[in-house]
Amino acid sequence: MTTPTAAAARPRRIADQARRRRRWHRLTIPLGVAALLLAVTGITHAIDQPDPESPGFLSPVSTDDVGGSRLAAELRDRGVTIERMTSIRRALSLATSEGFTLFVPAPGLVHRAYWPLVVDPAENARVVLVDPPRQVLAAARVPLAGAGRRWAARAVPAETDGQPCPLPELGGVGPAAVLLQRYADPPGRTFRADRCYAGGVARTRWRGNDLVVVGASDPFRNDRIDEWHNAALVTNLLAVHGRVVWLDLDGPEPPPPSPPDGERESTPPPESGGPYDEGTYDHGDVEVPGGGEYASPPSTREPQAERPQRGNPLWDALPAWFWAMLVQLAVALLLLALWRGRRLGPPVAEPLPVTVPAAETALGRGRLYHRARAYGPTAELLRAAALHRLRRATDRVAGSRPAEVVAAVAARTGQRPEDVHHLLYGPAPTTNQELLDLARALDRLAPSASPVQPVSRQATPPDHHPSVPFRPDRPVEGETR
Amino acid sequence: MTWRAAALLGAGALTLPLWPAPWLGVLLMTGAVLVLTVVDWTLAVPPGAVRASRQGARVVWLGDTATVAVHLHNTAARPLRGLVRDAWVPSAGARPGFPGAPRVRIDPGARVVLPTLLTPTRRGDRPAVRLTLRSYGPLGLAFRQRSREPETPPWTLRVLPRFASRRHLPEKLARLRAIDGTEVARGRGQGTEFDALREYVVGDDVRSVDWRASARRADVLVRTWRPERDRRVVCVLDTGRTAAVRVGDVPRLDAAIEAALLLAALAGRAGDRVDLLAVDETVRVAVTGGSQSTVLARMVNALAPLTPNLVETNFALVAGEILRRERHRCLVVLFTALEAAALGEGLLPVLPRLAARHQVVVAAVHDPVLTDLTTRTPKQVREVYATAAAWRALTDRDRVRAALHRHGVTVVDAPADQLAPMVSDTYLRLKALGQL
Repeated sequence: MTTPTAAAARPRRIADQARRRRRWHRLTIPLGVAALLLAVTGITHAIDQPDPESPGFLSPVSTDDVGGSRLAAELRDRGVTIERMTSIRRALSLATSEGFTLFVPAPGLVHRAYWPLVVDPAENARVVLVDPPRQVLAAARVPLAGAGRRWAARAVPAETDGQPCPLPELGGVGPAAVLLQRYADPPGRTFRADRCYAGGVARTRWRGNDLVVVGASDPFRNDRIDEWHNAALVTNLLAVHGRVVWLDLDGPEPPPPSPPDGERESTPPPESGGPYDEGTYDHGDVEVPGGGEYASPPSTREPQAERPQRGNPLWDALPAWFWAMLVQLAVALLLLALWRGRRLGPPVAEPLPVTVPAAETALGRGRLYHRARAYGPTAELLRAAALHRLRRATDRVAGSRPAEVVAAVAARTGQRPEDVHHLLYGPAPTTNQELLDLARALDRLAPSASPVQPVSRQATPPDHHPSVPFRPDRPVEGETR
Repeated sequence: MTWRAAALLGAGALTLPLWPAPWLGVLLMTGAVLVLTVVDWTLAVPPGAVRASRQGARVVWLGDTATVAVHLHNTAARPLRGLVRDAWVPSAGARPGFPGAPRVRIDPGARVVLPTLLTPTRRGDRPAVRLTLRSYGPLGLAFRQRSREPETPPWTLRVLPRFASRRHLPEKLARLRAIDGTEVARGRGQGTEFDALREYVVGDDVRSVDWRASARRADVLVRTWRPERDRRVVCVLDTGRTAAVRVGDVPRLDAAIEAALLLAALAGRAGDRVDLLAVDETVRVAVTGGSQSTVLARMVNALAPLTPNLVETNFALVAGEILRRERHRCLVVLFTALEAAALGEGLLPVLPRLAARHQVVVAAVHDPVLTDLTTRTPKQVREVYATAAAWRALTDRDRVRAALHRHGVTVVDAPADQLAPMVSDTYLRLKALGQL
């Protein structure tokens, strides 16, 4: 009885799912590998790069890899006294007008209120900043600008753009791994800073002080100080004066215990003339340096940043009902979206039947011939087909030998025998155009349309049954008895 | 919620400049609309309170239109206003057949009939997939809609294959009667059956004279013959990859089904038994035995959901099935394609066993694209290559045909629209010759 076996639906669905999964993989796997590579690289780099906020970073008492104990030892060997300060206020209060070196390994930890002071602690002092953030330089209006940052520190000789290093204390110091952040002169300034190590070290005279900016912390660190000429570079930089005030901050500096805003405008913090007021600052025991003269009090714009944010002016410019209407229309839009988002039942899926286009194999083979430029085989096929048609048209009087065929065809068509021979038995064409010409000539010689039959009708046995007369325009029915 | 709730809120937003406290207005209006929506939602008839059932046609011929109606019964105490979607598979060609679709209104306790008109685009089983009901509240601010509420009444419409070759049947039957009524020209042909004795008239074949009967009576009597009855015809449909090839706009299999149906109708009238097999890797359909009057209906029903598969047909299985099922000599009509690769490797090795016991006819639909390619003067280089490939395909086809001839197989190779009458003609001729 009837047994329609509707099988293979389930395996096909599973195969479809697998294919969809694979297609998804095709996109995600390369992207995932790329993302993984980027993540691993980034994390490794972040771990490798020292964090200035980490405890013990370039501290004279820290023997960690990122510490500065070896640098401190080198300096002491040279007879330099090191005063370790754990607060900027104390460091500034210690600063006297006599020559000393203020070493700030982590300028980013200094509170922004002190930034102008850090680069300008006293008269005739040297300040060494290690990789200061751009805001520090900008806030202090130091005429230096960052000019590109490298991925990792690189060792370079002391020259910059072919010019020898203009810093006298660095004369004769060889290459050092100091090129991480590069410094250049800001545009529009005529004043030029002294730059060494391809811009990794820059010195500028700033309000009577000697400001040195080093782009990389690597030469100062315990683990890198021995590489290249790092030790010579950093000790020479720091040992120009007999005293080094080493600012060793454990974390971000708290804001100064400043008077309220209103007062602040009139009495700007310590820098303007002797106001290291004992009342305000609790050091007490240190001699106050003489008032330096300052071209402009840098902190006058400081308090502005401290002011509370004002509201968006657009908010006040339009009436309240406008905003209320906007909100209500948004809610209405949300309702509209909810309404449109609910459909009247999901779309209906259906397995589609397999379809194979007509004459797929023949057309595909034709394309293969075309791509392979198979002039010879194509011409052979066309000639064989034309010969079949010609034999049928000439009622098989022609024999199988080429000469007889050519003679019969030439007699029938009235063409010259040489031309017919060349057409049917000539050499294979060598270009597409020759092949096209050959095909057209063969078609003229033996028209494939009526009255000549295509080769497909050839195999019909001549003794087919008389009740089904052979009609060329009818399909054939071959039979044997 | 619906667009009405959104529109209400939007209209309310335009009055906000008049409010002394706009933000309070926003809160009040939004709250009011939400409350109204919730009230409306609770007042809507729950979809679960609607009972759905289905009635209508179970079977339709391909190309005709059937009507299947959904009956909805509102058991709630409130009138139902809503939308109804009766979703069928896309090939069922469903479209709603009631006015105002998809809106419906059902009074409490009332029943409505919602017909759906179906004009399927493919044969086979076309199921109804989902009935969705969206019930609005009295204000039209909110609706209720749940999947599976009401439960979708299952329904499957069987779409029978197009049997356009029915128009050939009267002519073939007339020819059958002509064969039936006349003597077989060749006299005592092999396998012809004795019908009756009658008196000799001038012109009868003297070999037909029954001398024994003549001796008993004064007249000379001759035997008359009639075509054999109760012969067997087996239609084998190849549903493998070659059956999936589109000829014109339908798969090759559809032309084969049509030819098989015409042959079955004709053979059934001629008193022969018709069996049917559809095989690719496995036996997909087998229709055997049963009464001759219902065989055509059963065949149509069995062939309706048949689809081609992209697999290579196992001709060893075909031969084995035929030899196992048919112990007596019968006419095996194999509907396939004359393709060198498929037949040369699959059919030719098993053909001797098959042809030794049965009369085999191979019926194939040929591709009009190939003929078109070979009869056209090429205009571009690409066409030259395509023409050469087409000639090669035709040459391959001729080689297969010649090989089949050598095994004593009759080959019917015809375009899709002429396959059915030509297969029937072959059957009639074989019958007239007494070769069944």
